[in-house]
Amino acid sequence: MSDKIDIRTLRGNVESINALPTVPSTLRRISVMMEKPSIGLDELGRLISNDPALTVRILKMINSAAYGFPGRISSVSHATMLLGLSVIKGLLIGVSVFELMEKTMIGLWEHSLGCTVVTRMIAQKKGLKEPEEVSVCGLLHDIGKAVLMLQYAEAYDKAMQKAEKDGINIHEAEIDYFMVNHAEVGHWLVQKWHFPMNLVETIRYHHHPNLSKQSPMETAIVHVADVLVRAKGVGYPGDLVVPAVHPAAWEMLNLSDNDIGDILRNLEDAASFARETI
Amino acid sequence: MPKVSVEDLKPGMKLAKPLSRGNMVLLGEGTVLNETWIARIGDMGIEAIFVEGPSEQPVPKEEAIRQLDERFRNVLSQPYMNRIKKMVKEHIEGLYV
Repeated sequence: MSDKIDIRTLRGNVESINALPTVPSTLRRISVMMEKPSIGLDELGRLISNDPALTVRILKMINSAAYGFPGRISSVSHATMLLGLSVIKGLLIGVSVFELMEKTMIGLWEHSLGCTVVTRMIAQKKGLKEPEEVSVCGLLHDIGKAVLMLQYAEAYDKAMQKAEKDGINIHEAEIDYFMVNHAEVGHWLVQKWHFPMNLVETIRYHHHPNLSKQSPMETAIVHVADVLVRAKGVGYPGDLVVPAVHPAAWEMLNLSDNDIGDILRNLEDAASFARETI
Repeated sequence: MPKVSVEDLKPGMKLAKPLSRGNMVLLGEGTVLNETWIARIGDMGIEAIFVEGPSEQPVPKEEAIRQLDERFRNVLSQPYMNRIKKMVKEHIEGLYV
């Protein structure tokens, strides 16, 4: 189809997100910094501390129900020590990208925060060592949607309309306009930003958790969290229907009725928190 | 269990979760609020707290269930989706008791 965007051009555009005039300067600075192969915690801490608005947003996130340190962390340096490099990087990208997106795709922030809460809860229930790292995967799993929307607002709008009209999922509708879906797009970006392998894989395969080789557990968690958040109807991920859960991923996590009830109750808080942070 | 902002707190409301700062519990779960407590909570810069009772829901129950049916319309024949839907339905119904 002639109005489709060629994949190589698409990837080039996505990866040069810094050059976009519509990208706010904070996000541009963060993106440039993340492209460096090695970046220290102190450097990131300075970047956050020098921006009062960013400091407030990051501390609000960490002290929220989504991160499970309610009311305890009052400084950026404390936060960086406690959470470590990849979590802080993820939070930085998360708050700067999604706050921007909330203006154009209402509800994606709420959906993403819902997934943050649910991924962390499942990771804890399954005894994973770093539940905060997994919850960053939940926060960023749809970053590809935010970036596509930023660069191709008109085409993305059409994809969302198609998804609603045909009663299909947005990742299916995207193929018609971009030849790839947001999962692929998101994985290009986090790879470019030198995020750890588990984050790259969970983003790339959150609709096809069976394909994950390095982090099958984390990918299954993000996949199931996405389904549960949609099932509950928290936020707006770009379509109106719940996709089927991948049976192997569901079986791997083996959640009890109690676990699911617990998750749904906590999602109520996440939804109200999302509205407060905007 | 609704989250109520400090301006809307009224004497007689009961805390649904303990109110804590750091590791210190300030008011225990089940504390009945009076004017003094409400003023202190405001002074501490706390924005909202959880109180007991049913939450206010944005749509009536029938509408919430109708939306749930809509969301699941493609996938009911798929493995595990009936169980997930049933649990979400029970959860939603619980919000309206």
